[in-house]
Amino acid sequence: MKYSYIKPRKKTPFTPDVMLIVIFFSITIIMLLSTYFFLLFKDYSFEKERTKLLGERVVLEKNIAKMDKQISFIKEQKVLAQRVFTQNMVLKDSITNLFDLVPERITLSRAELLKNGLILYGVTPSKDVYNFMLQAPLRSIFQKSYTSFYPAGNGWLNFVSTNYIDNDESEELDSED
Amino acid sequence: MKINISRHQIYILLLTLVLLLFVLLFSFLLLIPEGQDYRVKRKELRKATLEYNKYKEFHDKTLTTLKDLQSKNRNIITAFERPFSKERFEKQNRVNFSSLNISRIQRAKDEDGFAVYEVNTTSHISSPVNFYDFLDGLNKGDWIIGANFPIKFVREGEMIRSSFTMKVYENNADKNSTASASSAK
Repeated sequence: MKYSYIKPRKKTPFTPDVMLIVIFFSITIIMLLSTYFFLLFKDYSFEKERTKLLGERVVLEKNIAKMDKQISFIKEQKVLAQRVFTQNMVLKDSITNLFDLVPERITLSRAELLKNGLILYGVTPSKDVYNFMLQAPLRSIFQKSYTSFYPAGNGWLNFVSTNYIDNDESEELDSED
Repeated sequence: MKINISRHQIYILLLTLVLLLFVLLFSFLLLIPEGQDYRVKRKELRKATLEYNKYKEFHDKTLTTLKDLQSKNRNIITAFERPFSKERFEKQNRVNFSSLNISRIQRAKDEDGFAVYEVNTTSHISSPVNFYDFLDGLNKGDWIIGANFPIKFVREGEMIRSSFTMKVYENNADKNSTASASSAK
């Protein structure tokens, strides 16, 4: 006995309504999950890049410190070299001045240039020639000047001239330098 | 009034509620905190990039200064690094002297952190001009050398015998980091 003229349909829970809801939520969840994973990935890459930058910054800091040290060392070398070069030039000028100071009529046999003085040995035709031509300029340079004479064989005079700059003054000059 | 709700409708409603609850929980518990974290990390990265760029700029500037200093003072730097060679010095300066004799090199007290060696020199010159040329040559030489007091000149016939002390300055291997070891001593 039949109650209906049509064939019974198979009953399923996936009706068009359910399918619509499932599709809607599936798309929503997929979008949420992809956003979440995108954020996770970006967080990871940001962190990785930041760590890399911090590491590189430390390397740069070390390099900068090293270069600063090298720069200050080169500057120290330059300062010392300039000081030495200047000393050499001052020395050259001192010797030039010394030899320019001695007149032709006086002959030097020995000269000792000290840090704060000058000792000269030589021969002069007379005391007057020495006093006018050498003693006067020496006195203008040195604060203490002593000369002793003794006769040379040919009628000329041997002399020993010892000249010093006052220590206090030379120290002052040094400190001014 | 009687509300007729079929089982199927209840099923749809429940399903919708469960999915909605999942979406809400997921959003509030995971997605939004992660988004905030993302913004914080992006800000930190920007800050780190800015700082890195500043350091890089300063690094490049310092490097340029260093290279500039090195190129301008190459001779001085090399002179401080080069160990003093008595034979080479005599060979270079023999032209200014009729004879040149250098005594043994002795280590003196360090000056400004640099090693100092003292060298006693005796020489014969025909004219003071030779000595001036020698002093000029010292400043252009292979080493940092300063002629020092006392300087003695003694007439010996037609020649002048000069004797003086020279100070040779070198990098101090103990103190100066960029110093090279001088093995020629």
